[in-house]
Amino acid sequence: MEKALRKSNAEYTEIRIESATSSWVNFRGEELDNIGSARTLGGIVRALVKGGWGYSTFNDLRDLETRVREACESARLVGKEHSEFAEVEPVDDTTTATLNKDFRRVSLSEKKAVIEEYNKIILGYHDRIETSNVAYNDRFRKVWYCNSQGTYIEDERPDTGVSISATARDGDNVQRGFESVAGSTGFQVVEGVHKKAEEAARRAVDLLSAPPVAGGKYTIIINPRLAGVFAHEAFGHLSESDFLYENERMKELMVLGKRFGSDGLNIIDDGSLSGLRGTHTYDDEGVKTRRNYLIKDGILVGRLHSRETAAKMGERPTGNARAISYQHPPIVRMTNTFIDKGDDSFEDMVKDVELGLYALDMVGGQTAMEMFTFSAAYGYMIRQGAVAELVRDVVLTGNVFETLMNIDKIGNTVELPPVGGGCGKGGQSPLPVGFGGPYVLMQNVVVGGRQQ
Amino acid sequence: MTVNQLIEKAMVKAQGAQASLGQSESTAVSFENDKLKSAKSSQSTGMSVKVIVDGKIGTSHTTDTDDVDGVVAKALEAAEFGSPAHFDFPGPQRGTEVKVCDDAVHPVTKKEMVSIGEEMMSLVKDYNPDILLGAGATKGVATSKFANSAGTVYSTETTNFAVWVDGQLVRGTDLLWAGHGFGWKKREIDHVEIAQKAIALFKMAENIAPITSGDMPVIFTPEGMKVLLLALALGVDGKNVLLGSSPLAGKLGKKIANDSFTITDNPLIDYAGNSGMYDGEGVPHQFTPLIEDGILKNFLYDLDTAGRAGAKSTGNGVGCGPTNLVIKEGDTAYEDMVKHTREGLIVHDVLGLGQGNPMSGEFSVNLYLGYKIENGEIVGRVKDVMLAGNTYDALKNIAVIGDTAEWAGGSLLTPPVQIAKLSVVAR
Repeated sequence: MEKALRKSNAEYTEIRIESATSSWVNFRGEELDNIGSARTLGGIVRALVKGGWGYSTFNDLRDLETRVREACESARLVGKEHSEFAEVEPVDDTTTATLNKDFRRVSLSEKKAVIEEYNKIILGYHDRIETSNVAYNDRFRKVWYCNSQGTYIEDERPDTGVSISATARDGDNVQRGFESVAGSTGFQVVEGVHKKAEEAARRAVDLLSAPPVAGGKYTIIINPRLAGVFAHEAFGHLSESDFLYENERMKELMVLGKRFGSDGLNIIDDGSLSGLRGTHTYDDEGVKTRRNYLIKDGILVGRLHSRETAAKMGERPTGNARAISYQHPPIVRMTNTFIDKGDDSFEDMVKDVELGLYALDMVGGQTAMEMFTFSAAYGYMIRQGAVAELVRDVVLTGNVFETLMNIDKIGNTVELPPVGGGCGKGGQSPLPVGFGGPYVLMQNVVVGGRQQ
Repeated sequence: MTVNQLIEKAMVKAQGAQASLGQSESTAVSFENDKLKSAKSSQSTGMSVKVIVDGKIGTSHTTDTDDVDGVVAKALEAAEFGSPAHFDFPGPQRGTEVKVCDDAVHPVTKKEMVSIGEEMMSLVKDYNPDILLGAGATKGVATSKFANSAGTVYSTETTNFAVWVDGQLVRGTDLLWAGHGFGWKKREIDHVEIAQKAIALFKMAENIAPITSGDMPVIFTPEGMKVLLLALALGVDGKNVLLGSSPLAGKLGKKIANDSFTITDNPLIDYAGNSGMYDGEGVPHQFTPLIEDGILKNFLYDLDTAGRAGAKSTGNGVGCGPTNLVIKEGDTAYEDMVKHTREGLIVHDVLGLGQGNPMSGEFSVNLYLGYKIENGEIVGRVKDVMLAGNTYDALKNIAVIGDTAEWAGGSLLTPPVQIAKLSVVAR
């Protein structure tokens, strides 16, 4: 790699090579649907000339020098201004992953045996269970990174998880219960989660008799699992500086010091927390990850940067340039994003709500500019200060300039649940991220659905 | 040829095998924030093996095309614990010719791709210089070789080409992000028309239209039709039908949509995104009517699912998903659809699609790019609005279908469709 780098005539050049092994086991209904494994090896060269980027991606590692030349030629075609790229101290570091139980040494038959138990729990739960979908995945990535400023990093990035889905049916009414676990610390993450299989099955059956939530504006309480996706969608994406750094009007809207929420609101992105899915020692530009406050005491105090966006905005790199694989350059991404704890208990939140909605667990979310959605796996109405009947199809929407201001109460315990899934942006999906938070109460949240 | 080596190696222990080998090269240029930002060259290789040993299936994949022994060994290992096979690998069958390779793609240079981007951006800038623009173009050439132990062998060369332009417009705390793009297997794309379509989306959004909650008629543009088609694509998936998770299970021959609604799966359209002579299992692609005049006609199957269901593969392997979906044109001009709407919405793009329980047909989405119609005129963009309904109810409740189908992406050809009534929740 270092020899190939020396062939570059660009202002900055980096090579990232990635080797990955992965395996999967998937039950759908009674039968095993798919079992297999894959091995990938590939790389990317990134070169910077006069503010323009050239990329070359490849599976054939035999001629790195040609790939370096290709990236430099592309960069020269593009570059017309001057490069700005934040300085960081060069590092030479090798990190190895610590796995309690290394999934690479677990046989496919053992992986199959573990998830087959979950599948059986679902199928045997109730007459109304129609089918199941239980999918195990693991992936061990080893990344070699080196750049023309003297940084050399070897990093290991394991990820493993299981998603557990139960489908219940009553005539045309088809409902789904979903649970997942995922983590970077080894195979034990997916072992012993029989309760989750039972929960998924129970929820699917329960939702058969639950009405869809009536559309309208509600006071909402979200649980920690949903608070995480809320933090991610409601604010995380808009704090990614690639939306801002060359957009003067957006910079004015997102100026540091502006108030976005009440005094009790703190939102943090932290890629250095140990053992979470968005955790790395270094990002994909060789920048050390760290704790970054986005909102502190309700005020916008920071944002997420790559080395380029940091330089152009005159701020420090934050370690948030991440690439999903060797086929992509790094772009500004979240790591582990969460709302920090406040003072309130769940009981205090519920007791004053006359008519509201308690929304639990996440199935997804999406953001485009200032509007966002986030979806709960299920919810309960709140009536006269008490949690009442189960409702389904709970999708909430908000606007970054209003919804955070409507947060009234923040719970006193933060959870960072080890769930699966990931984040998509710029064609790079799903990137493992962590998220979480406490219970949160918000006023005037729009919930989709038919009116009653 | 390596695919034959893979089959030979695998057949030492397996009773059936399938192998594929792919290579591709692509180029992309990308503009961000009004400037040329990057150019990219990509080279990729991949090799996959599927084996049947003692009636059980194992699969493996690698990017290292020299590792014939390794990938075969991994597939055989997986087959020891594999899923039961309900099919035999198919022998040679003659597929229908369909064009998937355009020689005009090969000579396109990065400089030409840059000037396409520049032209589209300058057209949008002429409309409104305040829009901060992005644009791009990509081209690719891929070859693949396929073989199985039943003697099926084929090679294909495919090309692809795509262009897009989009922009951000910030007015106060109102942020708008809109754009248009198109890609298929052919060089021929009218990039001026793409820029004009992007401009039209911005023009309709010049005003923000107030809206109150209630039920109203909704027009889905070709791009917006994905809201209705997500559940339908899952519903006709033969595996979902077999497992009983599709609400369409048991409804073949029944009326599930308005008489005017006809939709087919068609992988035999020249140069379309998912066209080709064969599917991924060596089965010839075919034209499959899904819903005809409102009647459910067929489900989509791959080999294994067809074997389990007692059906025949429809050439939708692996995975039973659709290829290119085509919706039959109706008889109402789009302009008339708008003109005859007293109060209603146009849906072009949404947030939150597929979250929740898409298989059931339920959708509840934020109208990210939606427009209000009042007294037959488009009066502006709506914001902070949720649209909710059920695909299967909506298909029965079609008011009119447009008389001109357009491509929305490279694999959906559809006219705009107006649903008589859907539920809207506004702030």
